[in-house]
Amino acid sequence: MHPLLLANQLIMLAGGIDGNKRPLDDSEKWGVTLVGLGVVIAALAILVVVIMLFGKIFDQINKNQKAKASAEAEKKKPKQAPAPVKKAPAETKPAPAAAKPAAVPAVAPAAEDDEEVIAVISAVVAMMSEQDGKTYRIKSVAKSQRNNGFGGRSAWAMDGRRQNVNPF
Amino acid sequence: MLQILQDILSGLFETSGLAGLAAEPLKLLMMCVSFLFMYLAIVKGFEPLLLLPISFGMFLSNLPAVLPEDMIFHAAYWNEPQSVEWLWKVLHDGGLLDKLYLGVKLQIYPCLIFLGIGTMTDFGPLIANPKSFLLGAAAQGGIFFTFLAAGYMGMSAAECGSIAIIGGADGPTSIYVSSKLLDGADSNLNTGTIALAAYTYMALVPVIQPPIMRLLTTEKERKIKMPQLRTPSKTEKIIFPVVVTLIVALLVPSAASLVGMLMFGNILKESGVAGRLVDTAQNALMNIVTIFLGVSVGATCTASNVANWDFIKVLILGVIAFSLGTACGLGLAKLMNWLSGGKVNPLIGSAGVSAVPMAARISQQEGAKADPTNFLLMHAMGPNVAGVIGSAVAAGVLLSVINY
Repeated sequence: MHPLLLANQLIMLAGGIDGNKRPLDDSEKWGVTLVGLGVVIAALAILVVVIMLFGKIFDQINKNQKAKASAEAEKKKPKQAPAPVKKAPAETKPAPAAAKPAAVPAVAPAAEDDEEVIAVISAVVAMMSEQDGKTYRIKSVAKSQRNNGFGGRSAWAMDGRRQNVNPF
Repeated sequence: MLQILQDILSGLFETSGLAGLAAEPLKLLMMCVSFLFMYLAIVKGFEPLLLLPISFGMFLSNLPAVLPEDMIFHAAYWNEPQSVEWLWKVLHDGGLLDKLYLGVKLQIYPCLIFLGIGTMTDFGPLIANPKSFLLGAAAQGGIFFTFLAAGYMGMSAAECGSIAIIGGADGPTSIYVSSKLLDGADSNLNTGTIALAAYTYMALVPVIQPPIMRLLTTEKERKIKMPQLRTPSKTEKIIFPVVVTLIVALLVPSAASLVGMLMFGNILKESGVAGRLVDTAQNALMNIVTIFLGVSVGATCTASNVANWDFIKVLILGVIAFSLGTACGLGLAKLMNWLSGGKVNPLIGSAGVSAVPMAARISQQEGAKADPTNFLLMHAMGPNVAGVIGSAVAAGVLLSVINY
Protein backbone atom coordinates (compact mmCIF):
# COMPACT_ATOMS: atom_id res chain seq x y z
CA MET A 1 0.00 0.00 0.00
CA HIS A 2 1.19 3.51 -0.75
CA PRO A 3 2.47 5.22 2.41
CA LEU A 4 0.48 8.38 1.63
CA LEU A 5 -2.71 6.40 1.39
CA LEU A 6 -1.93 4.73 4.69
CA ALA A 7 -1.22 8.09 6.31
CA ASN A 8 -4.49 9.42 4.94
CA GLN A 9 -6.33 6.45 6.39
CA LEU A 10 -4.60 6.87 9.74
CA ILE A 11 -5.85 10.43 9.90
CA MET A 12 -9.32 9.24 9.00
CA LEU A 13 -9.11 6.77 11.85
CA ALA A 14 -9.26 9.67 14.26
CA GLY A 15 -12.91 9.90 13.24
CA GLY A 16 -13.25 6.16 13.80
CA ILE A 17 -14.49 3.20 11.78
CA ASP A 18 -18.13 2.23 11.73
CA GLY A 19 -18.41 -0.85 13.95
CA ASN A 20 -20.84 -2.52 11.55
CA LYS A 21 -18.70 -1.93 8.47
CA ARG A 22 -18.05 -5.22 6.69
CA PRO A 23 -15.67 -6.02 5.08
CA LEU A 24 -12.96 -3.60 6.17
CA ASP A 25 -10.61 -2.01 3.64
CA ASP A 26 -6.96 -3.04 3.71
CA SER A 27 -6.02 0.43 4.84
CA GLU A 28 -8.48 0.26 7.75
CA LYS A 29 -7.25 -3.16 8.87
CA TRP A 30 -3.59 -2.15 8.69
CA GLY A 31 -4.35 1.28 10.07
CA VAL A 32 -5.95 -0.09 13.26
CA THR A 33 -3.16 -2.65 13.64
CA LEU A 34 -0.30 -0.18 13.25
CA VAL A 35 -1.89 2.71 15.11
CA GLY A 36 -3.12 0.45 17.89
CA LEU A 37 0.21 -1.24 18.46
CA GLY A 38 2.03 2.07 18.11
CA VAL A 39 -0.16 3.83 20.68
CA VAL A 40 0.12 0.96 23.20
CA ILE A 41 3.91 0.84 22.85
CA ALA A 42 4.18 4.64 23.02
CA ALA A 43 1.95 4.86 26.12
CA LEU A 44 3.89 2.18 27.95
CA ALA A 45 7.24 3.60 26.79
CA ILE A 46 6.27 6.94 28.36
CA LEU A 47 5.47 5.05 31.56
CA VAL A 48 8.91 3.37 31.39
CA VAL A 49 10.63 6.78 31.22
CA VAL A 50 8.50 8.32 33.98
CA ILE A 51 8.86 5.36 36.35
CA MET A 52 12.62 5.16 35.68
CA LEU A 53 12.89 8.85 36.46
CA PHE A 54 10.97 8.36 39.69
CA GLY A 55 13.20 5.42 40.57
CA LYS A 56 16.35 7.51 40.05
CA ILE A 57 14.95 10.38 42.13
CA PHE A 58 13.99 8.07 44.98
CA ASP A 59 17.32 6.24 44.85
CA GLN A 60 19.09 9.57 45.15
CA ILE A 61 16.86 10.63 48.05
CA ASN A 62 17.52 7.32 49.83
CA LYS A 63 21.27 7.64 49.24
CA ASN A 64 21.31 11.16 50.63
CA GLN A 65 19.30 10.09 53.66
CA LYS A 66 21.65 7.17 54.31
CA ALA A 67 24.73 9.34 53.92
CA LYS A 68 23.25 11.91 56.31
CA ALA A 69 22.36 9.26 58.87
CA SER A 70 25.81 7.66 58.74
CA ALA A 71 27.50 11.05 59.03
CA GLU A 72 25.42 11.84 62.12
CA ALA A 73 26.21 8.43 63.60
CA GLU A 74 29.94 9.05 63.02
CA LYS A 75 29.70 12.37 64.81
CA LYS A 76 27.92 10.86 67.82
CA LYS A 77 30.33 7.91 68.06
CA PRO A 78 32.88 8.42 70.92
CA LYS A 79 36.49 8.14 69.88
CA GLN A 80 37.89 4.75 70.81
CA ALA A 81 41.34 3.27 70.73
CA PRO A 82 41.61 0.63 68.01
CA ALA A 83 40.82 -2.73 69.55
CA PRO A 84 43.39 -5.47 69.14
CA VAL A 85 42.49 -7.94 66.46
CA LYS A 86 41.04 -10.95 68.15
CA LYS A 87 41.97 -14.22 66.63
CA ALA A 88 39.08 -16.61 66.55
CA PRO A 89 39.85 -19.55 68.79
CA ALA A 90 39.51 -22.93 67.23
CA GLU A 91 36.32 -24.35 68.63
CA THR A 92 36.60 -27.81 70.03
CA LYS A 93 34.02 -30.26 71.06
CA PRO A 94 34.81 -32.83 73.73
CA ALA A 95 34.19 -36.39 72.75
CA PRO A 96 30.88 -37.65 74.12
CA ALA A 97 32.19 -41.14 74.43
CA ALA A 98 35.61 -42.66 74.29
CA ALA A 99 36.25 -43.24 70.65
CA LYS A 100 39.00 -42.81 68.15
CA PRO A 101 38.96 -39.32 66.58
CA ALA A 102 37.67 -39.55 63.03
CA ALA A 103 38.74 -37.48 60.06
CA VAL A 104 37.47 -33.91 60.12
CA PRO A 105 36.97 -31.85 56.99
CA ALA A 106 39.69 -29.28 57.26
CA VAL A 107 38.80 -25.74 56.32
CA ALA A 108 40.70 -22.50 56.28
CA PRO A 109 40.66 -20.50 59.54
CA ALA A 110 37.84 -18.01 59.56
CA ALA A 111 38.67 -14.37 59.95
CA GLU A 112 35.37 -13.40 61.55
CA ASP A 113 33.61 -16.32 63.09
CA ASP A 114 30.05 -15.75 63.98
CA GLU A 115 29.57 -17.25 67.42
CA GLU A 116 25.97 -18.22 66.80
CA VAL A 117 26.80 -20.00 63.56
CA ILE A 118 29.63 -21.86 65.28
CA ALA A 119 27.27 -22.89 68.08
CA VAL A 120 24.80 -24.28 65.55
CA ILE A 121 27.54 -26.10 63.63
CA SER A 122 28.91 -27.52 66.89
CA ALA A 123 25.45 -28.77 67.87
CA VAL A 124 25.02 -30.48 64.50
CA VAL A 125 28.46 -32.07 64.72
CA ALA A 126 27.71 -33.28 68.26
CA MET A 127 24.47 -34.82 67.06
CA MET A 128 26.27 -36.52 64.16
CA SER A 129 28.88 -37.71 66.60
CA GLU A 130 26.24 -39.35 68.79
CA GLN A 131 24.56 -40.97 65.83
CA ASP A 132 27.80 -42.30 64.30
CA GLY A 133 29.44 -43.30 67.60
CA LYS A 134 32.57 -41.45 66.53
CA THR A 135 34.30 -38.37 67.83
CA TYR A 136 34.61 -35.35 65.61
CA ARG A 137 36.68 -32.28 66.33
CA ILE A 138 36.07 -28.91 64.75
CA LYS A 139 39.39 -27.35 63.94
CA SER A 140 38.14 -24.22 62.27
CA VAL A 141 35.13 -22.73 60.59
CA ALA A 142 35.25 -20.77 57.36
CA LYS A 143 32.67 -19.47 54.94
CA SER A 144 32.25 -21.75 51.96
CA GLN A 145 33.22 -20.63 48.48
CA ARG A 146 30.57 -18.50 46.80
CA ASN A 147 31.26 -20.09 43.45
CA ASN A 148 29.20 -23.13 44.30
CA GLY A 149 27.01 -23.50 41.22
CA PHE A 150 24.01 -21.93 42.93
CA GLY A 151 24.50 -18.51 41.39
CA GLY A 152 26.56 -17.26 44.34
CA ARG A 153 23.92 -18.15 46.90
CA SER A 154 24.39 -20.35 49.92
CA ALA A 155 22.67 -23.71 50.08
CA TRP A 156 20.39 -22.32 52.85
CA ALA A 157 19.38 -19.34 50.73
CA MET A 158 18.77 -21.62 47.76
CA ASP A 159 16.58 -23.92 49.81
CA GLY A 160 14.61 -20.97 51.17
CA ARG A 161 13.97 -19.61 47.68
CA ARG A 162 13.00 -23.05 46.42
CA GLN A 163 10.46 -23.42 49.24
CA ASN A 164 8.97 -20.01 48.42
CA VAL A 165 8.75 -20.59 44.69
CA ASN A 166 7.65 -24.24 44.66
CA PRO A 167 3.97 -23.49 45.43
CA PHE A 168 3.80 -21.59 42.14
CA MET B 1 -65.63 -34.11 31.76
CA LEU B 2 -62.98 -36.27 30.16
CA GLN B 3 -62.54 -33.63 27.47
CA ILE B 4 -61.95 -30.92 30.12
CA LEU B 5 -59.34 -33.06 31.86
CA GLN B 6 -57.66 -33.76 28.55
CA ASP B 7 -57.59 -30.03 27.72
CA ILE B 8 -56.08 -29.16 31.10
CA LEU B 9 -53.41 -31.82 30.78
CA SER B 10 -52.72 -30.81 27.23
CA GLY B 11 -52.43 -27.16 28.27
CA LEU B 12 -50.06 -28.09 31.10
CA PHE B 13 -47.89 -30.11 28.72
CA GLU B 14 -47.79 -27.32 26.15
CA THR B 15 -46.48 -24.85 28.72
CA SER B 16 -44.11 -27.33 30.36
CA GLY B 17 -40.41 -27.65 29.89
CA LEU B 18 -40.91 -30.93 28.06
CA ALA B 19 -42.75 -29.15 25.25
CA GLY B 20 -40.01 -26.53 25.24
CA LEU B 21 -37.38 -29.23 24.90
CA ALA B 22 -39.29 -30.84 22.05
CA ALA B 23 -39.44 -27.46 20.30
CA GLU B 24 -35.73 -26.71 20.84
CA PRO B 25 -33.78 -29.98 21.10
CA LEU B 26 -30.46 -28.09 20.88
CA LYS B 27 -31.05 -26.96 24.46
CA LEU B 28 -30.42 -30.53 25.53
CA LEU B 29 -27.05 -30.41 23.76
CA MET B 30 -26.18 -27.15 25.53
CA MET B 31 -27.12 -28.67 28.87
CA CYS B 32 -24.75 -31.55 28.13
CA VAL B 33 -21.99 -29.01 27.34
CA SER B 34 -22.69 -27.29 30.66
CA PHE B 35 -22.39 -30.67 32.43
CA LEU B 36 -19.02 -31.20 30.71
CA PHE B 37 -17.82 -27.80 31.98
CA MET B 38 -19.07 -28.64 35.48
CA TYR B 39 -17.11 -31.90 35.31
CA LEU B 40 -13.96 -30.03 34.19
CA ALA B 41 -14.37 -27.50 37.01
CA ILE B 42 -15.20 -29.94 39.82
CA VAL B 43 -13.22 -33.06 38.92
CA LYS B 44 -10.33 -31.67 36.87
CA GLY B 45 -10.07 -28.38 38.76
CA PHE B 46 -9.94 -26.17 35.61
CA GLU B 47 -10.46 -22.61 36.91
CA PRO B 48 -13.36 -23.80 39.14
CA LEU B 49 -14.06 -20.37 40.62
CA LEU B 50 -15.03 -19.13 37.15
CA LEU B 51 -15.93 -22.24 35.21
CA LEU B 52 -18.43 -23.52 37.77
CA PRO B 53 -20.56 -20.32 37.84
CA ILE B 54 -20.28 -20.06 34.03
CA SER B 55 -21.33 -23.66 33.49
CA PHE B 56 -24.24 -23.41 35.93
CA GLY B 57 -25.38 -20.16 34.30
CA MET B 58 -25.27 -21.98 30.96
CA PHE B 59 -27.34 -24.80 32.45
CA LEU B 60 -29.95 -22.38 33.87
CA SER B 61 -30.39 -20.39 30.67
CA ASN B 62 -30.82 -23.55 28.61
CA LEU B 63 -33.55 -24.97 30.83
CA PRO B 64 -36.53 -25.45 28.54
CA ALA B 65 -39.39 -22.99 28.99
CA VAL B 66 -42.18 -22.15 26.58
CA LEU B 67 -43.62 -18.99 28.12
CA PRO B 68 -41.34 -15.92 28.05
CA GLU B 69 -42.25 -15.06 31.66
CA ASP B 70 -40.89 -18.44 32.77
CA MET B 71 -37.48 -17.88 31.20
CA ILE B 72 -34.58 -17.11 33.53
CA PHE B 73 -32.67 -15.44 30.70
CA HIS B 74 -33.90 -13.89 27.45
CA ALA B 75 -31.14 -14.02 24.85
CA ALA B 76 -33.27 -11.97 22.44
CA TYR B 77 -33.23 -8.90 24.72
CA TRP B 78 -29.48 -8.54 24.42
CA ASN B 79 -29.34 -8.12 20.67
CA GLU B 80 -31.57 -5.06 20.82
CA PRO B 81 -30.18 -1.52 20.99
CA GLN B 82 -30.13 -0.03 24.46
CA SER B 83 -32.74 2.58 25.32
CA VAL B 84 -34.86 3.61 28.28
CA GLU B 85 -37.73 1.41 27.03
CA TRP B 86 -35.36 -1.50 26.60
CA LEU B 87 -34.04 -1.07 30.15
CA TRP B 88 -37.59 -0.97 31.50
CA LYS B 89 -38.42 -4.15 29.59
CA VAL B 90 -35.40 -5.95 31.06
CA LEU B 91 -36.21 -4.82 34.58
CA HIS B 92 -39.93 -5.50 34.29
CA ASP B 93 -40.14 -8.62 32.13
CA GLY B 94 -36.62 -10.07 32.42
CA GLY B 95 -35.63 -13.11 34.43
CA LEU B 96 -33.14 -13.12 37.29
CA LEU B 97 -30.14 -13.68 35.02
CA ASP B 98 -31.25 -10.85 32.70
CA LYS B 99 -31.07 -8.47 35.65
CA LEU B 100 -27.69 -9.78 36.74
CA TYR B 101 -26.42 -9.50 33.15
CA LEU B 102 -27.05 -5.76 33.27
CA GLY B 103 -23.82 -5.52 35.27
CA VAL B 104 -21.96 -6.94 32.26
CA LYS B 105 -23.82 -4.90 29.67
CA LEU B 106 -23.31 -1.68 31.59
CA GLN B 107 -19.58 -2.54 32.11
CA ILE B 108 -19.89 -2.53 35.90
CA TYR B 109 -18.51 -6.00 36.72
CA PRO B 110 -15.25 -5.76 34.72
CA CYS B 111 -14.33 -2.51 36.45
CA LEU B 112 -15.15 -3.93 39.90
CA ILE B 113 -13.04 -7.02 39.11
CA PHE B 114 -10.19 -4.68 38.20
CA LEU B 115 -10.62 -2.96 41.57
CA GLY B 116 -10.22 -6.33 43.29
CA ILE B 117 -7.23 -7.25 41.13
CA GLY B 118 -5.63 -3.92 42.03
CA THR B 119 -5.86 -4.71 45.74
CA MET B 120 -4.16 -8.05 45.13
CA THR B 121 -1.41 -6.89 42.76
CA ASP B 122 2.11 -5.98 43.78
CA PHE B 123 3.56 -3.65 41.16
CA GLY B 124 6.94 -3.80 42.96
CA PRO B 125 8.69 -5.93 40.30
CA LEU B 126 7.45 -3.55 37.59
CA ILE B 127 8.60 -0.45 39.49
CA ALA B 128 11.96 -2.12 40.13
CA ASN B 129 12.39 -2.90 36.43
CA PRO B 130 10.26 -0.45 34.40
CA LYS B 131 11.58 -1.88 31.11
CA SER B 132 9.10 -4.70 31.77
CA PHE B 133 6.42 -2.30 30.54
CA LEU B 134 7.76 -2.81 27.02
CA LEU B 135 7.25 -6.57 27.27
CA GLY B 136 3.69 -5.94 28.43
CA ALA B 137 3.22 -3.70 25.38
CA ALA B 138 4.77 -6.13 22.90
CA ALA B 139 2.51 -8.96 24.02
CA GLN B 140 -0.47 -6.84 22.96
CA GLY B 141 0.71 -7.50 19.41
CA GLY B 142 -1.50 -10.58 19.62
CA ILE B 143 -4.56 -8.32 19.86
CA PHE B 144 -3.76 -6.16 16.85
CA PHE B 145 -2.45 -8.89 14.54
CA THR B 146 -5.61 -10.88 15.28
CA PHE B 147 -7.65 -7.80 14.39
CA LEU B 148 -5.90 -7.94 11.03
CA ALA B 149 -6.58 -11.68 10.62
CA ALA B 150 -10.25 -11.27 11.57
CA GLY B 151 -10.52 -8.39 9.11
CA TYR B 152 -9.24 -10.61 6.32
CA MET B 153 -11.90 -13.17 7.27
CA GLY B 154 -14.53 -10.60 6.35
CA MET B 155 -15.69 -9.71 9.83
CA SER B 156 -17.02 -6.31 10.82
CA ALA B 157 -14.89 -3.85 12.79
CA ALA B 158 -16.88 -4.51 15.99
CA GLU B 159 -16.43 -8.28 15.60
CA CYS B 160 -12.71 -7.93 14.81
CA GLY B 161 -12.16 -5.81 17.92
CA SER B 162 -14.19 -8.10 20.18
CA ILE B 163 -12.35 -11.23 19.04
CA ALA B 164 -8.92 -9.59 18.97
CA ILE B 165 -9.13 -8.48 22.60
CA ILE B 166 -9.06 -12.18 23.62
CA GLY B 167 -5.33 -11.96 22.82
CA GLY B 168 -4.91 -9.75 25.87
CA ALA B 169 -5.66 -12.85 28.00
CA ASP B 170 -7.72 -10.70 30.30
CA GLY B 171 -11.32 -11.80 30.96
CA PRO B 172 -12.71 -8.52 32.39
CA THR B 173 -11.15 -6.48 29.55
CA SER B 174 -12.61 -8.84 26.93
CA ILE B 175 -16.04 -8.45 28.52
CA TYR B 176 -15.64 -4.68 28.76
CA VAL B 177 -14.68 -4.25 25.10
CA SER B 178 -17.08 -6.76 23.58
CA SER B 179 -20.07 -5.52 25.59
CA LYS B 180 -19.48 -2.04 24.20
CA LEU B 181 -18.59 -2.96 20.63
CA LEU B 182 -21.27 -5.61 20.13
CA ASP B 183 -24.05 -3.56 21.68
CA GLY B 184 -26.71 -3.38 18.97
CA ALA B 185 -24.18 -4.47 16.34
CA ASP B 186 -25.25 -6.49 13.33
CA SER B 187 -23.50 -9.66 14.51
CA ASN B 188 -24.06 -13.22 15.62
CA LEU B 189 -21.39 -12.81 18.28
CA ASN B 190 -22.13 -11.71 21.83
CA THR B 191 -20.24 -10.90 25.00
CA GLY B 192 -20.93 -14.31 26.50
CA THR B 193 -19.22 -16.24 23.73
CA ILE B 194 -16.23 -13.86 23.77
CA ALA B 195 -15.93 -14.21 27.55
CA LEU B 196 -16.25 -17.98 27.33
CA ALA B 197 -13.43 -18.17 24.77
CA ALA B 198 -11.24 -15.74 26.77
CA TYR B 199 -11.62 -17.65 30.04
CA THR B 200 -11.14 -20.98 28.27
CA TYR B 201 -7.80 -19.84 26.86
CA MET B 202 -6.77 -18.32 30.19
CA ALA B 203 -7.37 -21.70 31.80
CA LEU B 204 -5.31 -23.27 29.02
CA VAL B 205 -2.24 -21.02 29.50
CA PRO B 206 -0.18 -23.97 30.81
CA VAL B 207 -1.03 -25.91 27.64
CA ILE B 208 -0.72 -23.16 25.00
CA GLN B 209 2.35 -21.22 26.13
CA PRO B 210 5.11 -23.78 26.91
CA PRO B 211 5.44 -25.23 23.37
CA ILE B 212 5.70 -21.69 21.90
CA MET B 213 8.25 -20.74 24.55
CA ARG B 214 10.39 -23.78 23.84
CA LEU B 215 10.10 -23.25 20.10
CA LEU B 216 11.22 -19.62 20.16
CA THR B 217 14.02 -19.85 22.74
CA THR B 218 17.22 -21.84 22.94
CA GLU B 219 18.29 -23.96 25.92
CA LYS B 220 21.10 -21.48 26.56
CA GLU B 221 18.67 -18.54 26.66
CA ARG B 222 16.32 -20.36 29.04
CA LYS B 223 19.23 -20.87 31.46
CA ILE B 224 20.02 -17.17 31.75
CA LYS B 225 19.92 -16.03 35.37
CA MET B 226 18.76 -12.52 36.07
CA PRO B 227 20.10 -10.43 38.97
CA GLN B 228 17.90 -9.79 41.98
CA LEU B 229 15.59 -6.78 41.66
CA ARG B 230 15.82 -3.76 43.95
CA THR B 231 13.06 -3.22 46.51
CA PRO B 232 11.02 -0.11 45.72
CA SER B 233 10.14 2.20 48.59
CA LYS B 234 6.61 2.58 49.92
CA THR B 235 6.43 6.13 48.54
CA GLU B 236 7.22 4.88 45.04
CA LYS B 237 4.49 2.26 45.34
CA ILE B 238 1.96 4.91 46.40
CA ILE B 239 2.91 7.36 43.65
CA PHE B 240 2.90 4.65 40.95
CA PRO B 241 -0.91 4.16 40.68
CA VAL B 242 -1.52 7.91 40.51
CA VAL B 243 1.11 8.44 37.80
CA VAL B 244 -0.06 5.49 35.69
CA THR B 245 -3.71 6.55 35.87
CA LEU B 246 -2.85 10.10 34.94
CA ILE B 247 -0.66 9.17 31.96
CA VAL B 248 -3.05 6.52 30.62
CA ALA B 249 -6.07 8.81 31.01
CA LEU B 250 -4.25 11.60 29.18
CA LEU B 251 -3.22 9.36 26.29
CA VAL B 252 -6.13 6.92 26.01
CA PRO B 253 -9.18 8.26 27.91
CA SER B 254 -11.29 5.22 26.93
CA ALA B 255 -9.03 3.06 29.11
CA ALA B 256 -9.45 5.29 32.16
CA SER B 257 -12.31 3.26 33.71
CA LEU B 258 -10.36 0.00 33.71
CA VAL B 259 -6.93 1.38 34.58
CA GLY B 260 -8.44 3.84 37.06
CA MET B 261 -10.19 1.11 39.04
CA LEU B 262 -7.12 -1.14 38.90
CA MET B 263 -4.97 1.64 40.29
CA PHE B 264 -7.59 2.69 42.83
CA GLY B 265 -7.50 -0.84 44.24
CA ASN B 266 -3.72 -0.72 44.27
CA ILE B 267 -3.45 2.59 46.11
CA LEU B 268 -5.90 1.27 48.73
CA LYS B 269 -3.49 -1.61 49.28
CA GLU B 270 -0.23 0.30 49.14
CA SER B 271 -1.38 3.19 51.32
CA GLY B 272 -1.76 0.80 54.24
CA VAL B 273 -4.47 2.98 55.78
CA ALA B 274 -7.57 1.33 54.32
CA GLY B 275 -7.23 -2.24 55.53
CA ARG B 276 -10.97 -2.83 55.80
CA LEU B 277 -11.62 -1.61 52.27
CA VAL B 278 -8.79 -3.74 50.92
CA ASP B 279 -10.13 -6.76 52.73
CA THR B 280 -13.61 -6.17 51.27
CA ALA B 281 -12.36 -5.47 47.75
CA GLN B 282 -10.11 -8.51 47.52
CA ASN B 283 -12.43 -10.96 49.24
CA ALA B 284 -16.15 -10.24 49.61
CA LEU B 285 -16.59 -7.84 46.67
CA MET B 286 -14.38 -9.86 44.34
CA ASN B 287 -16.23 -13.08 45.18
CA ILE B 288 -19.67 -11.52 44.79
CA VAL B 289 -18.81 -9.96 41.43
CA THR B 290 -17.18 -13.19 40.25
CA ILE B 291 -20.39 -15.11 41.04
CA PHE B 292 -22.61 -12.56 39.27
CA LEU B 293 -20.25 -12.25 36.33
CA GLY B 294 -19.74 -15.98 35.90
CA VAL B 295 -23.37 -17.00 36.15
CA SER B 296 -24.66 -14.19 33.90
CA VAL B 297 -21.93 -14.66 31.25
CA GLY B 298 -22.64 -18.39 31.28
CA ALA B 299 -26.32 -17.60 30.75
CA THR B 300 -25.57 -15.99 27.39
CA CYS B 301 -24.27 -19.31 26.06
CA THR B 302 -27.55 -20.40 24.56
CA ALA B 303 -27.78 -22.81 21.66
CA SER B 304 -28.46 -20.01 19.18
CA ASN B 305 -25.32 -18.15 20.31
CA VAL B 306 -22.88 -21.04 20.58
CA ALA B 307 -23.92 -23.74 18.12
CA ASN B 308 -22.88 -21.81 15.03
CA TRP B 309 -19.91 -21.27 12.74
CA ASP B 310 -19.20 -17.81 14.18
CA PHE B 311 -18.38 -19.28 17.59
CA ILE B 312 -15.95 -21.71 15.94
CA LYS B 313 -14.29 -18.69 14.30
CA VAL B 314 -14.03 -17.02 17.73
CA LEU B 315 -12.33 -20.10 19.14
CA ILE B 316 -9.87 -20.36 16.24
CA LEU B 317 -9.02 -16.65 16.21
CA GLY B 318 -8.86 -16.64 20.03
CA VAL B 319 -6.10 -19.24 20.13
CA ILE B 320 -4.27 -17.42 17.32
CA ALA B 321 -4.51 -14.16 19.31
CA PHE B 322 -3.21 -15.82 22.43
CA SER B 323 -0.32 -17.54 20.65
CA LEU B 324 0.66 -14.37 18.78
CA GLY B 325 0.67 -12.38 22.04
CA THR B 326 2.99 -14.95 23.61
CA ALA B 327 5.26 -14.94 20.55
CA CYS B 328 5.41 -11.12 20.38
CA GLY B 329 6.40 -10.92 24.06
CA LEU B 330 9.09 -13.57 23.58
CA GLY B 331 10.34 -11.79 20.46
CA LEU B 332 10.88 -8.48 22.25
CA ALA B 333 12.46 -10.23 25.25
CA LYS B 334 14.92 -11.90 22.87
CA LEU B 335 15.73 -8.51 21.37
CA MET B 336 16.25 -7.04 24.86
CA ASN B 337 18.48 -9.99 25.71
CA TRP B 338 20.58 -9.36 22.61
CA LEU B 339 20.80 -5.62 23.25
CA SER B 340 21.74 -6.12 26.91
CA GLY B 341 24.45 -8.65 26.08
CA GLY B 342 22.66 -11.70 27.44
CA LYS B 343 21.25 -10.30 30.67
CA VAL B 344 17.53 -10.83 29.98
CA ASN B 345 16.00 -14.29 29.99
CA PRO B 346 13.59 -14.30 27.01
CA LEU B 347 11.16 -16.54 28.91
CA ILE B 348 9.88 -13.55 30.88
CA GLY B 349 8.54 -12.07 27.63
CA SER B 350 5.69 -14.56 27.39
CA ALA B 351 4.40 -13.28 30.74
CA GLY B 352 3.50 -10.03 28.97
CA VAL B 353 0.07 -11.47 28.23
CA SER B 354 -1.92 -10.46 31.25
CA ALA B 355 -3.08 -13.81 32.64
CA VAL B 356 -1.92 -13.03 36.19
CA PRO B 357 -0.16 -14.87 37.73
CA MET B 358 -0.41 -17.94 35.53
CA ALA B 359 1.75 -16.62 32.70
CA ALA B 360 4.51 -15.62 35.16
CA ARG B 361 4.26 -19.05 36.76
CA ILE B 362 4.81 -20.69 33.37
CA SER B 363 7.93 -18.56 32.80
CA GLN B 364 9.23 -19.68 36.19
CA GLN B 365 8.48 -23.34 35.47
CA GLU B 366 10.11 -23.31 32.04
CA GLY B 367 13.17 -21.53 33.44
CA ALA B 368 13.43 -24.03 36.29
CA LYS B 369 13.14 -26.91 33.82
CA ALA B 370 16.22 -25.65 31.96
CA ASP B 371 18.10 -24.94 35.20
CA PRO B 372 16.57 -25.85 38.59
CA THR B 373 18.54 -23.03 40.25
CA ASN B 374 16.98 -20.39 38.00
CA PHE B 375 14.29 -18.23 39.64
CA LEU B 376 12.40 -16.08 37.17
CA LEU B 377 9.10 -15.65 39.00
CA MET B 378 9.59 -12.09 40.24
CA HIS B 379 11.25 -11.05 36.97
CA ALA B 380 8.24 -12.42 35.07
CA MET B 381 5.75 -10.69 37.40
CA GLY B 382 6.90 -7.32 36.03
CA PRO B 383 5.82 -8.00 32.41
CA ASN B 384 2.79 -9.88 33.74
CA VAL B 385 1.31 -6.89 35.61
CA ALA B 386 2.46 -4.60 32.77
CA GLY B 387 0.34 -6.81 30.52
CA VAL B 388 -2.75 -5.95 32.59
CA ILE B 389 -2.11 -2.25 32.01
CA GLY B 390 -1.16 -2.91 28.37
CA SER B 391 -4.34 -4.83 27.58
CA ALA B 392 -6.44 -2.09 29.21
CA VAL B 393 -4.68 0.50 27.03
CA ALA B 394 -5.20 -1.70 23.94
CA ALA B 395 -8.88 -1.96 24.88
CA GLY B 396 -9.04 1.82 25.09
CA VAL B 397 -7.46 2.14 21.64
CA LEU B 398 -9.97 -0.28 20.09
CA LEU B 399 -12.88 1.55 21.70
CA SER B 400 -11.49 4.84 20.40
CA VAL B 401 -11.05 3.81 16.77
CA ILE B 402 -14.21 1.71 16.37
CA ASN B 403 -17.49 3.59 16.58
CA TYR B 404 -20.09 1.65 18.54
